[in-house]
Amino acid sequence: MANIGIDLGTTHSLVAVVLSGTARCLLDDDERSLLPSAVRYDLEGVPKAVGYPALDAAGEPDGVTFTSVKRFMGRSASDAKVAEEARRFGYDLATDDERMVRFKVGSRDITPIEVSSYILRMLHARAEECLFGRPGGAVITVPAYFDDAQRQATRDAARVAGIDVLRLLNEPTAAAIAYGLQDAKDGERVAVYDLGGGTFDVSILELDDGVFQVLSTAGDTSLGGDDFDQALATVLLAQAGITDPDGHTFRRAVRASEAAKRALTDAETATLVMEHDGTRIEAGIGRDDFERLIAPIVARTGAACSQALADADLAPGEIDQVVLVGGSTRVPYVRRFVGELFGRTPHAEMDPDKVVALGAAMQADILTGDSELQDDLLLLDVVPLSLGIETMGGIVERLIPRCSTIPASHSQTFTTHVDGQTAVDIHILQGERELVGDNRSLARFRLSGLPAMPAGIPRIKVQFMVDADGILRASAVEEFTGAVASLEVQPTYGLSDEEIEDMLEDAIDHAETDIDQRFLIEARIEAEQILHTLGKAMRDDGDLLIDDEGPTLERLMSELTESMKGTDRPRISDLSKQVDDASAAFAQRRIERDIDRALGGRSTDEVAQTLGLDA
Amino acid sequence: MVCWKCHEGVQGPVCVGCGAIQPPRPDADYFDVLGLERRYHLDGRALEKAFRAVSRKVHPDRFTKRAAVERRMSLQWTATVNTARRVLKDPVTRAHYLATGKARPPERGGPQPDPDFLEEMFELQSEARSAPEAVRERVNTLRAELDQALEARFTAWEAGEGDLESVDLLLAHLRYLATAERLVDQS
Repeated sequence: MANIGIDLGTTHSLVAVVLSGTARCLLDDDERSLLPSAVRYDLEGVPKAVGYPALDAAGEPDGVTFTSVKRFMGRSASDAKVAEEARRFGYDLATDDERMVRFKVGSRDITPIEVSSYILRMLHARAEECLFGRPGGAVITVPAYFDDAQRQATRDAARVAGIDVLRLLNEPTAAAIAYGLQDAKDGERVAVYDLGGGTFDVSILELDDGVFQVLSTAGDTSLGGDDFDQALATVLLAQAGITDPDGHTFRRAVRASEAAKRALTDAETATLVMEHDGTRIEAGIGRDDFERLIAPIVARTGAACSQALADADLAPGEIDQVVLVGGSTRVPYVRRFVGELFGRTPHAEMDPDKVVALGAAMQADILTGDSELQDDLLLLDVVPLSLGIETMGGIVERLIPRCSTIPASHSQTFTTHVDGQTAVDIHILQGERELVGDNRSLARFRLSGLPAMPAGIPRIKVQFMVDADGILRASAVEEFTGAVASLEVQPTYGLSDEEIEDMLEDAIDHAETDIDQRFLIEARIEAEQILHTLGKAMRDDGDLLIDDEGPTLERLMSELTESMKGTDRPRISDLSKQVDDASAAFAQRRIERDIDRALGGRSTDEVAQTLGLDA
Repeated sequence: MVCWKCHEGVQGPVCVGCGAIQPPRPDADYFDVLGLERRYHLDGRALEKAFRAVSRKVHPDRFTKRAAVERRMSLQWTATVNTARRVLKDPVTRAHYLATGKARPPERGGPQPDPDFLEEMFELQSEARSAPEAVRERVNTLRAELDQALEARFTAWEAGEGDLESVDLLLAHLRYLATAERLVDQS
């Protein structure tokens, strides 16, 4: 059973697998490797489509298409930035839940986890089809800078999709593997600059005899090529005099901007075109203007690069290779910026959209335990942010500093501050700031059942363990009494087990209706095409109909038209086939006549001879 | 040592005969874990080499097909290896570990600095706030003195002369000095 690698991206997602020692991306029926990370719901909140059809329907009034949900994964609804982004995308946020982002559609609340699970399910199904069987487990990539809650949310989405997650892998690390940099010289340092649709990461790795050791990582989970599009869209709308666009208008402007951005990769100027209230709006933009517009956004990536270099204790000149990842690194200005920053031309040999998925597939293959790659490669990754607990006075005590290699464990002993205290609340935080309020609150748990002792006497040992996925488990024990009081970690922003179970059930219900619905639509489309083609043929070449062909076909066609109004898919398909069969001879005669006409009177035999065919 | 699984003799974290990972020892010495000599003078590249070599043997990625108990041991081993590298990489924590057997200084208690030294530090710290340039030189001189003292203690110890008693006091002084240095740098 092959394991798969999944790149769950902000704008696009991919699935890849190692076959006969080589990693390759799996294609859909239309031979595309990218799946737009878009899911369409109808106005009742029932999922309708995933990928391209969902993207195409965006802006239509009969539902909502969710894109870029990765920006909302594991984030808190009370975060002001979240509300701002939701507004820009035109998503309605449910306001009754402070903890987790939930989008309102009809009477349903939809979580980013649910939306992501549909994308994952689609990719998993593609792998199942391509591999002629259910894949083993999956390695799913996440931005290196994702915090614990964002990683948990990604894991939850996979669980809802019924996917066995072998490992969450940091995207830059995956890219370095894909580039085959394990053949690099010992001690070579590599910077991976990953500017995707919605996230930015930079990581510094050191390579040594097949060991990939991440020295440091930094980034911004809300910075990416989407920001270029949105900056452009704002300009376009301002030029058109639209000051307060609604969600649909804004999204159309963003799509127009994205096309213009792509054009500017090769061209010096591009035109932004969109429809608004029935009128056509146009705005021209030169590459210079575009570069001035995105310069402040790209500059923010420079700050993260400096941070990563400082954490690795390196100067820019000590970086031996630079790798570009993410579609946004196709922008010439970004390439120049990275080149100047590190003083060397970055690698861009591989498709920056596919690199991460390919690396994930290679790591997935290593985790099968019998991979050809296993002896060559080992990945040593780090935690992106420090982990600690709240102590007296709202100060954070760090237990695991950022850039610690994982798995990592650390324990520290604390005591009580009040006489006779029988319970201690342990508040887990993630971040680099001194004060509790400035860091991300991950979880709280309570160590209770302590015997009453004077303040300062109990010895409470708090242990943190970060596993190979970068996910934290915490425990606490009072050492004198040996009382391992019961404790439970409830992620402050995560999903409870019951919520996941509910979503699983929901998803299964919907999956069946989804599939039925899809088949019905396909059958109707097919029938429509047959009726259209045959109708035209009978009007054009009615004289070729012999015996009672005409009346028979008309009877079948009207039956088919009638059946299409209902939902009886087998009947639609059956009638379609009958019409097709009954018109086969007529179609053959039409082809012969067409050939005769085209040849201006020469016989078909002659033509066949000229073409070197046997008649 | 005998492998818990195949009962053959075993050296190092993984049994050569059956490939089983051996139980990690909770009190393992960080130098032993990485297969390094117990020395203060440690080459950074040698440390990294040793760290990666052991990681290759014990990392959870190597044990995905093994039983849960071995996967758990691999996780513990790797966490210990990672801690060992972190503690031994920084000269100050390495010195502290050699002198006390602990990875970091205790929250409370520990050696009390000399009263004279303490007084000088208070003076330095208050002057650092008002006239940082005036104390910069004194801080630098103190830093050189303390570094030299530490260096001398370990050089002697590695040559088999003398012990590491009261090195933790020296390290406590260094921590006070670091605070003063930060104050000078900030202003």
